[in-house]
Amino acid sequence: MATFSSDLIWEITRGNSATLVKRTQAGGVSFSRDQLNLKNKYSRKYEGLVADKAIGVQPGEEGGVVLLTKKADKAHQPASYIQTASIPAKRSTRKTYAAIINSTAGRNYRSDLRSDAVARASAIRKSQKPVKADKPTKVRGKKAKTEA
Amino acid sequence: MSRPTVTIISGSGEASKDTISVPNVFKAPIRPDIVHSVHTGMNKNRRQPYAVSEKAGHQTSAESWGTGRAVARIPRVSGGGTHRAGQAAFGNMCRSGRMFAPTKVWRKWHQKINLNQKRFATASAIAASSSAALLMARGHNVSTVPEVPLVVSSTAFADGAIAKTSAALALLRAVGAGADVDKVKKSKKLRAGKGKLRGRRHTQRRGPLVIYNPDEDGKELVTAFRNLPGVETSSVYSLNLLQLAPGGHLGRLIVWTSSAFSALDKVYGTTSEPSALKKDFLLPSTIMKQPDLSKIINSSDVQKVLRPVRGGAITKRTNVQKKNPLRNFQVQLRLNPYAATFSKNKEGSKKLNEGKPTRAPDSFVEQIHEN
Repeated sequence: MATFSSDLIWEITRGNSATLVKRTQAGGVSFSRDQLNLKNKYSRKYEGLVADKAIGVQPGEEGGVVLLTKKADKAHQPASYIQTASIPAKRSTRKTYAAIINSTAGRNYRSDLRSDAVARASAIRKSQKPVKADKPTKVRGKKAKTEA
Repeated sequence: MSRPTVTIISGSGEASKDTISVPNVFKAPIRPDIVHSVHTGMNKNRRQPYAVSEKAGHQTSAESWGTGRAVARIPRVSGGGTHRAGQAAFGNMCRSGRMFAPTKVWRKWHQKINLNQKRFATASAIAASSSAALLMARGHNVSTVPEVPLVVSSTAFADGAIAKTSAALALLRAVGAGADVDKVKKSKKLRAGKGKLRGRRHTQRRGPLVIYNPDEDGKELVTAFRNLPGVETSSVYSLNLLQLAPGGHLGRLIVWTSSAFSALDKVYGTTSEPSALKKDFLLPSTIMKQPDLSKIINSSDVQKVLRPVRGGAITKRTNVQKKNPLRNFQVQLRLNPYAATFSKNKEGSKKLNEGKPTRAPDSFVEQIHEN
């Protein structure tokens, strides 16, 4: 039996898919729930469900990021078709990006997604930073200062 | 690339060493258009006729008052002594009048679908069920399914072993379809709209479809599976498109028993040998052998007839913004190769001559003035 061409699967699923989130707002923008979609955008390039090879970057449970890649030869084995590699939070962001690139685009694996993967990892790492508390507001005016 | 065999999973969930060759029906072309149109037709064939009462809106002896009484000529209820008297009747625009074009029980409820199309659609839906991507796109939770098509050994069903729902559920969990059953169980919601009042109170997802061979697996499993929400069973000899592609969308999660799986070749035949059970039926064959666009483009057959890329890696770009060479040093370098040396030696800010000019010697002056 043949493995399925991703072009065929895209043609079948482009209008209707469990990962597709369609809204009439914002000009009918189509988002994707797929974990292998780096931009959460339902398009042929980014939809990881459809592609033979795809990259996903997700936040790790204890900080850091988890890099997901699809094993192209395991497409018919849903339980084991994703390769995960976690990059801990203690790894610097630059080294995180380097690790992502070295295991994907650097190995001729979806080099078209290189910058998107880095951008997503960067956004995740940024979101994991603690939120700085606001500075106390400066007391203004003579009266207020004497009261304080 | 072909993957001619599939592993048989035992009833306890381990992959056995046994493999089974994938039946030819899995090579059938996947045609969502045909499946969709056949599904639309088939879905209409189980409808029950309904209509408003023949008499509705006509149970009055209204007559028009004619012209001259400064009211519309619509029929009006005769008599007096009640509010109803004098009210307009019959028309679809009237209160308690008949509806426009009252529905009739002899509406055309059913659709004829060509048998060959139905068989095509069924074959197509079976083929699509072997694509993990399509299962996921349909919304099945297949994260624990070891392999699609999911074939479970018939020994697990032998002698009515699966006759109890608890055994059936344990089997589904063992083979990795449990997540999908749980998804269905959690998905039960109140239906939106009037369907709630019409015997369709809840909505829920569809779970796995268990396809068995009644000759070998027996029929006890039907009663075992039937109380699991979303799980359906079907005999391999009477597959139904409404179950194989619910909603007309391809990719139902199917749990095959191994005997049902191996019976598929008997049921559907091949593209050249007619089916043993379906009269005059040959499996449809694909029009495109290679539907992968990038593979076609990158194939040596295509690449060798293409002319080489002009200019190679460096191509002169058109419509670029003009850069000012006086401000942009790199552009200046391109125009003036000496600019690098000029700037490195700081020749632009170098004085032309150092110090004051020396006075000409007296002998020079004398020579000039010599007459």
